[in-house]
Amino acid sequence: MHNHDYPGKLVVIEGTDGVGRSTQVEMLQNWLQVEGFGVSTTAWKSSQLISKVIEKAKEKNALNTITFSLLYATDLADRLHSTIIPALKAGHIVLADRYVYTAFARDVVRGADSTWVRKIYDFAIKPDRVFYLKMPLDPLLRRIITTRGGLDFYESGRDIGISTDLYQSFKLYQSQIMFEFERMAEANRFITLNAEDPVEAIQKVLRRELGTLLMDETLSGSIVRS
Amino acid sequence: MRLNKKHDFPGKLIVVEGVDGSGKSTQLDLLRNWLISRGQSVIFTEWNSSRLISKTIKQAKRSNSLIPNTFSLLHATDFADRLENIIIPALKAGLVVLADRYCFTAFARDVARGVDREWVRNLYGFSVRPDGAFYFQVPIEVSLARIANSRMPGYYESGMDMGLSSDPMQSFQIFQSRIINEYNQMVDEYGFYTMPATQAIHEQQVLFREHATKILNLT
Repeated sequence: MHNHDYPGKLVVIEGTDGVGRSTQVEMLQNWLQVEGFGVSTTAWKSSQLISKVIEKAKEKNALNTITFSLLYATDLADRLHSTIIPALKAGHIVLADRYVYTAFARDVVRGADSTWVRKIYDFAIKPDRVFYLKMPLDPLLRRIITTRGGLDFYESGRDIGISTDLYQSFKLYQSQIMFEFERMAEANRFITLNAEDPVEAIQKVLRRELGTLLMDETLSGSIVRS
Repeated sequence: MRLNKKHDFPGKLIVVEGVDGSGKSTQLDLLRNWLISRGQSVIFTEWNSSRLISKTIKQAKRSNSLIPNTFSLLHATDFADRLENIIIPALKAGLVVLADRYCFTAFARDVARGVDREWVRNLYGFSVRPDGAFYFQVPIEVSLARIANSRMPGYYESGMDMGLSSDPMQSFQIFQSRIINEYNQMVDEYGFYTMPATQAIHEQQVLFREHATKILNLT
């Protein structure tokens, strides 16, 4: 990954499924717009080109590890070109709900070679800030089961055959993902936030951190309060 | 990387490579029929044909809006899907797999399109190393004439996405020359059998069968 010198900023929110990333992104977006900044958001697996292919393939449970990795890389490559880079060039703050780190964590847990995956994503732009929303397994499980009415096949890593018990499989799979995230958080200086805190409390920290980022830079606007 | 090691599946993998119009598909087709007539079980697979994604690629190409990395990743996805679903199972079952284009096509085309040489080789590092890779070598004029006889080269085929020239035929010529140049550099890197693709079809086929006989240990 390479550093960018566009006028905009790339801010990434990472974390496993169900930790509340999209809620936080939405709140940040509203706040930044009120403060008078141009904002773009981009979510994992949302490219026009490829997101439908991913959905369809997942429905059929027809993906092996390598194809799975490559589909997501293609999705990001397409979004970088069609959304993220144009927005950064226009001076926008781009809020990315998941980024390459999700792939690094997932693909490695699914058995892909960690150097291979990282090299593939060399085309990506290095974010200006990465926030990692962290939640322990048990509350995460309760939250996912209650809000989504059950566990997802892939999110539980069932396709890689850890365990035929969906609950056990989810726990094992997600704990390995978390392990990968935590390793990266340390190595790449993510700002780790406790996802069990109330939504507003997390948002407050995010705003404070973004305020610093934006004030430091040429973009600096009216953000002084938090 | 799997690509750099000999595989130990019981089956055999033979691939053909070369620019459009080099005659590789004709030769592979003849070889395939011959092998079948000799009682071999043969599986055939070609570039950009996976059920998962080939349609998406064709659609995306029509809109002429792909950047080189995305283009490269799309084809790698197609290849990965075919490798896992067609090629590897067939090799495990001890069959002969014939592939019309393989990862070397990406190494030639994508690099000609400006993608990093090292990056694309890593991308396809999961490929199974072929038992025989046949490169149909033709001078650019021959390829150009063969293509132009049948159709106008497509937008990506002529590298129009790189703005080499506003004239499609001229762009095609520049782009295909780059591809040929990449292929030529791979001859030693991957131990290609170079086929004299300007010779008569029959002569080439005789040579092709001779090599294939050795690779497949036929008697």
